[in-house]
Amino acid sequence: MAGETRQTLRSSDTGVELTLTPLEPARLLAGVADGAAGGNVLFVGTARAATDGVVTTRLEYEAHEPLARSVLERIRQAAMAEFRLVGCGIAHRLGLVEPGEASVIVAASSPHRREAFAATEWIMARIKQEVPIWKREHRLDGSRSWEHGSGVPNVVGGPP
Amino acid sequence: MIPDHPSAAVIRVSLFAGMAEVAGHRYLDLPWTGGTVAQLKVAVQAACPAIGPLLARSAIAVGDRYAEAAELVAADDEVAVIPPVSGG
Repeated sequence: MAGETRQTLRSSDTGVELTLTPLEPARLLAGVADGAAGGNVLFVGTARAATDGVVTTRLEYEAHEPLARSVLERIRQAAMAEFRLVGCGIAHRLGLVEPGEASVIVAASSPHRREAFAATEWIMARIKQEVPIWKREHRLDGSRSWEHGSGVPNVVGGPP
Repeated sequence: MIPDHPSAAVIRVSLFAGMAEVAGHRYLDLPWTGGTVAQLKVAVQAACPAIGPLLARSAIAVGDRYAEAAELVAADDEVAVIPPVSGG
């Protein structure tokens, strides 16, 4: 019975998604549901209305899409193996994002909550280092600038 | 950029985000008869010195994967410069 449930729900495993339209956290979470799961964690990263006291009117995201999809999928698979997840999905918004809207969502399911929490944090850290997606801040005064992190982007690393 | 010699092979290198903004283009077309990823970075630097500071901290992608410095790149490869990322 449990095996049957797992089979059915696994088929909706959501994988990775890059989209210009609003993210759907509930759908991502439903996609990682699994009869074997005891802990299901959903992380929702949202666009901040201000950074360092400067008002952000909106964010804009751009990606090298084929590379971003492939790196995201490798991160997802590495997290599945490393944290013994039973379900994992990642979605990132592209284009213009208003303050308060979700820019990235990660869902992870595992038999116990600890691994699911650890996996979402690990995945977010990887995304911020390795996935070719860039953010441009549009500010109240009309200025805008692309943000570039400090590290050199590179291949997916080893275990956490 | 048009190659000096019409028969010379040309490689198209895609640029993103702040790097495309600084360059004023979303790609660079460079004369290319083959070479390594490291040599390609030198050629990109020579063609567009303004992107140098970001280029030094960039990776090179070939198709849908990151490439190693010693890897060979052909003119018809889909190549992109990947500056430090800021997703999330």
